[in-house]
Amino acid sequence: MTTAWLALLALAISAMLIVVLCQGDPKRLRAAGQKGAAMLPRRRRVLAALACLPGLGCALSGNSAAFMLWLGGCALVGWISATWPRRKSQTGTGALATRNAP
Amino acid sequence: MIHLDKDETKAMVAVHGWSGICLGLLLYAVVLTGTAAVFAQEIGAWAAGHLNSQSAFEAPVDARVRRLSEATPAQYRDSLNLFEVGDHGLGAFFHRDALDAKGMPTERGIYYQLDHGGRLTSTVHGTSEEVFGPHNDDALSSFLVDTHVRLHVPNPWGLLLTGVLGLTMLVAAISGLLIHRHLFKDIFTLRRNGSPVLANRDMHSVAGTWSLPFAFVLAFTGSFFSFYGTIGVPVVAMAAFRGDVQALSEAVYGNPRKSDPRPASIGDLDRVTADAVRRTGEAPTFISIEHFGRADAEITSYHQPKSGDLEPVALLYNGATGAFERAKPTVGTRPSAGGTLSGIMGPLHFGNFAGILSKAIWFGLGFAMCYVTYTGMRLWVVRRGQDTRALAWLERTLTVVGFGLPICLLAAAAAFLVTMPLGSAVYWTTGGFLIAAGSVIATGVVIRSNEALTRTLKGTAGLIMIALPLLRLFAAQGPGWSEAIASGRPMTPAIDVGCILMGLWLVRAGWNAARPAHRDGTVIGKGVRA
Repeated sequence: MTTAWLALLALAISAMLIVVLCQGDPKRLRAAGQKGAAMLPRRRRVLAALACLPGLGCALSGNSAAFMLWLGGCALVGWISATWPRRKSQTGTGALATRNAP
Repeated sequence: MIHLDKDETKAMVAVHGWSGICLGLLLYAVVLTGTAAVFAQEIGAWAAGHLNSQSAFEAPVDARVRRLSEATPAQYRDSLNLFEVGDHGLGAFFHRDALDAKGMPTERGIYYQLDHGGRLTSTVHGTSEEVFGPHNDDALSSFLVDTHVRLHVPNPWGLLLTGVLGLTMLVAAISGLLIHRHLFKDIFTLRRNGSPVLANRDMHSVAGTWSLPFAFVLAFTGSFFSFYGTIGVPVVAMAAFRGDVQALSEAVYGNPRKSDPRPASIGDLDRVTADAVRRTGEAPTFISIEHFGRADAEITSYHQPKSGDLEPVALLYNGATGAFERAKPTVGTRPSAGGTLSGIMGPLHFGNFAGILSKAIWFGLGFAMCYVTYTGMRLWVVRRGQDTRALAWLERTLTVVGFGLPICLLAAAAAFLVTMPLGSAVYWTTGGFLIAAGSVIATGVVIRSNEALTRTLKGTAGLIMIALPLLRLFAAQGPGWSEAIASGRPMTPAIDVGCILMGLWLVRAGWNAARPAHRDGTVIGKGVRA
């Protein structure tokens, strides 16, 4: 498998988990006024560890280029998923809650 | 996370804020041009309408080099550097070591430039500083790289300045890490509807946290390159070689071998390049021949990293026979950890170790760094919201630089596309940048509202971006999409499409911001959200 394909495969797996982590992030949901959907800390830790596994695989296979591509790609996916506009809360309380945040 | 007490946190916040606000604008300029320079080669080929996709070293070079060596005076035939130039043409610099007017070591000789078909297009005599410089067809990429490397400040001051900016980025990254108590808890938190301070803080810290490892990598490697020649080499030469830079270079990068000055014909260069391609899977990026035409001649072929690796490859060949000798470490004669670290600095900084994919990711990371730098300065201003009147000039300056610098770079590209066919692109690429800079500053003075200024600058940037592909096609007479794809240059239509989409997005963003419904809310902080 070429470096690019290996990196893309590793990145795709980690990206899915990062997006799931982002969707269930308690603080992010709290800011949007959606407390009920928050993920449990234990589940978040497991998902975070799973998201790191593809990178670990690239590193252990000795493919340093794929590892760097994975690391850089994950940083971009994380940033984009965090800044991606989320759907508005049905109740609309999120905006009010954060407007009053300290 | 690392826990600091209240006073230490306060001190770190001050270090983080002031280091950013003092040098942030220059740092933003260096990071933005560095982001564009990741694709300097592709942008250069796009703008100049290059169509060849075969490396100059994959075409026969041996006969060309022999023909040039016969035309070169014997005094300059001591060493030869070969590299690609223009549209996969060949650059050949026959030279010998010399001292310049200030007594500094340099190389003096004759520089030949050949096109892809092997026809001689130019011959220049002089030192390496005199013969290498921007040419009509690479003025745009040279301008981008030169702005990033030394902000067009004469050396060594330009390199020292960008080195200091790299260290500033390093200081900001470390202090940012120390002051952020909830680094992982806040990694997805973005309170867009909160107060301007909260919204700006979140935008800055989210982008900063995700790109933190690369802030370290890019700042450290950038500083390394800036300080390497300006401080590192002179200091080591002074300490270990009695100030003899030539001896240092020979010891660190040279190929120690028994001197044999007997005349001998150079080995078959085509065989050497074919063997190098077979061993590395890549055409050479640079070939250096020491003691050209002597029995002790040595050929070093430099390559991009092999697939799956980060360290560039150098192969050593016997110059007289063309036989392969050994893989050469980046530093010294034997592989070492220091040599490997030194070797991976370039690929880690330029992101050129895995083709377009690594460049695309590094481009994105560079953009994230720009965002972090810009939002950091915005946050500093927004936090002092009660002093808005006193800091209005700073907010205006941030907008002018933040949105104006991309306009200046786009104007430089437009000027290049218009003037390249006339042969005056070297002058007008810089000219276009300066004219645009003057216009942007004047706009910043004339338009009173910061919101309107942001909108105007974004709209202008979008319009220039949309115009660039048209200028490339009609003013620069560049190749069409089908011709470019058929020639193995898919980046040409890709850059066109990128420009048009980005341009449309910017124009739309500017247009939407101009609508009355969006005119509510505070002025400070709005520029970032828009």
